[in-house]
Amino acid sequence: MEETIIPKTSTVLAALLKADFTTLWRNRRAVVMVFLVPIVILVSWKDLVAKMGAAFALSNSLTYGLIAIGLMGYTNSIARDRDKGIFQRLRVAPAPNWTIMMSRIFVQLSMIALVTTAIFVVGYDYDKITLTPTGYALTYLTAIVGGAVYLALGQVIVGLIKNPETVNSTSRLVYFTFVIVGMFGGMGMLGKQVEQMTQWSPYGTVKTIMAAGMVPGSWTMDTTNALLVTLGYTLVFAVIGIKNFKWNTK
Amino acid sequence: MDNNQSESILKVSDLCVQYGIFKAVKEVSFDVRKGEIFGLLGPNGAGKTSTLSAIEGLIEYQSGTVIVDGHNAKEKPLYARAAMGVQLQSTSFQPELKVSEILQLFAGIYGVKLTNEKLTAILKDISLEDAAGKRFGQLSGGQQQRVSLVISTIHNPRLVLLDEPTTGLDPQSRRQLWERIEAIRERGHAVVLTTHSMEEAESVCDRIGIIDHGKVITIDTPQALIEKHKNDPEVIAVSRKGRVTLEDVFIALTGKEVRA
Ligand SMILES: Nc1ncnc2c1ncn2[C@@H]1O[C@H](COP(=O)(O)OP(=O)(O)OP(=O)(O)O)[C@@H](O)[C@H]1O
Ligand SMILES: [Mg+2]
Repeated sequence: MEETIIPKTSTVLAALLKADFTTLWRNRRAVVMVFLVPIVILVSWKDLVAKMGAAFALSNSLTYGLIAIGLMGYTNSIARDRDKGIFQRLRVAPAPNWTIMMSRIFVQLSMIALVTTAIFVVGYDYDKITLTPTGYALTYLTAIVGGAVYLALGQVIVGLIKNPETVNSTSRLVYFTFVIVGMFGGMGMLGKQVEQMTQWSPYGTVKTIMAAGMVPGSWTMDTTNALLVTLGYTLVFAVIGIKNFKWNTK
Repeated sequence: MDNNQSESILKVSDLCVQYGIFKAVKEVSFDVRKGEIFGLLGPNGAGKTSTLSAIEGLIEYQSGTVIVDGHNAKEKPLYARAAMGVQLQSTSFQPELKVSEILQLFAGIYGVKLTNEKLTAILKDISLEDAAGKRFGQLSGGQQQRVSLVISTIHNPRLVLLDEPTTGLDPQSRRQLWERIEAIRERGHAVVLTTHSMEEAESVCDRIGIIDHGKVITIDTPQALIEKHKNDPEVIAVSRKGRVTLEDVFIALTGKEVRA
């Protein structure tokens, strides 16, 4: 009997990453939304920057970018590829299941870094916003932590719903709910109670840690609590999303 | 390891697959040896794809054992999968990726070094050398099928599982595929294929297993099956032009009614 060779995990991951990044690049038009909404907000809120502060404007718009990545980019690509049987073909190869997902998630994490960079550039270019080096560095970190919540929420959607069209419309609905509630509820336009709830929702906690990350001096006990709540949400969503996830739609 | 065991590349014993309470595969057993092309035949819904899916590790099986090239598929799934090449009945690749990129992807996943020369040779082999830069989504159905097939042997596996590989192929590609399958046999490797074409089963399979309602009805060489059943009244009743074919035997054994 000849010896069976299991390919190295690093080789497998490299091949998957290359394919997943290529797919993302070819679909670049579809990810315009991810960049468009935060940039439009940043540009149109020019006046608010002076009033509410740079961190407020940046963290708000970045949060919308992160939500779009998790709820639109991630969910839709997973739902489509599952429906087409692309995952099944990968799974009959000697690639451990986690490498397939890891590659997908890594692509989204890079998107998060990219959106964060775009926000910094537009913020500087348009609103003359600058942060300290620590502020920039910490924001990349908090953006990853915050982005993970929405990726996990996206995982819940693809975990509970199989049909790609239903996934698409559901994620859109959740996305717009976040945008509306975030925008109006977070500013107190829907009353004190909604404002409180928004603050501790996955929208509010992410915004809080990002705003504090941008101006590290403003990090308080409340921010630490928001960080813990954020991690909690991620864990709960990830568990539900992964537990219910099926690799095929049949 | 004794001689008998090393002969067998795939050993399926008492395999049971259940979807909810529905039993799709019931105590299926068969063996596929080195240098053998084994055909799995059966009407729609007989349990062919379910049997293959269990071997491939795509679905959990309730009981039974699957040994691929000496590796228990449940205990050492990665080893079992590394030893097999697969073409699924319904599958796809990212439509945005170019044919060459898909080949690179799977070469990477199977740990195969794919030089440019080798890539060109593979594409030439499936007559798609001009399509290297085309996206998978732009290929015709048959061309996609050819890509999928060539990927199933990209790592020179000892066991190749093909689920209806010739469905949708033109006669030229079908003949070419038969030759390709026979070349795998020449190398001493084993092939399991499913097909609804009795002509195909008769001309390429060394042995066939007929399966219906999740159960193996019979396993033998095509010639032996015809020999064994050619005088059965059911077979004679369905035969045409006074000549008994494998199809007649198949229909007699699995019944005339069309499956839901
Ligand atoms: N995921 C599933 N959930 C429930 N039932 C299933 C599932 N997959 C297959 N079945 C059922 O199991 C039975 C066997 O299906 P299978 O796909 O194995 O048949 P097959 O022999 O490959 O048929 P065909 O020739 O049409 O491809 C069918 O009755 C089918 O409806
Ligand atoms: Mg089938």
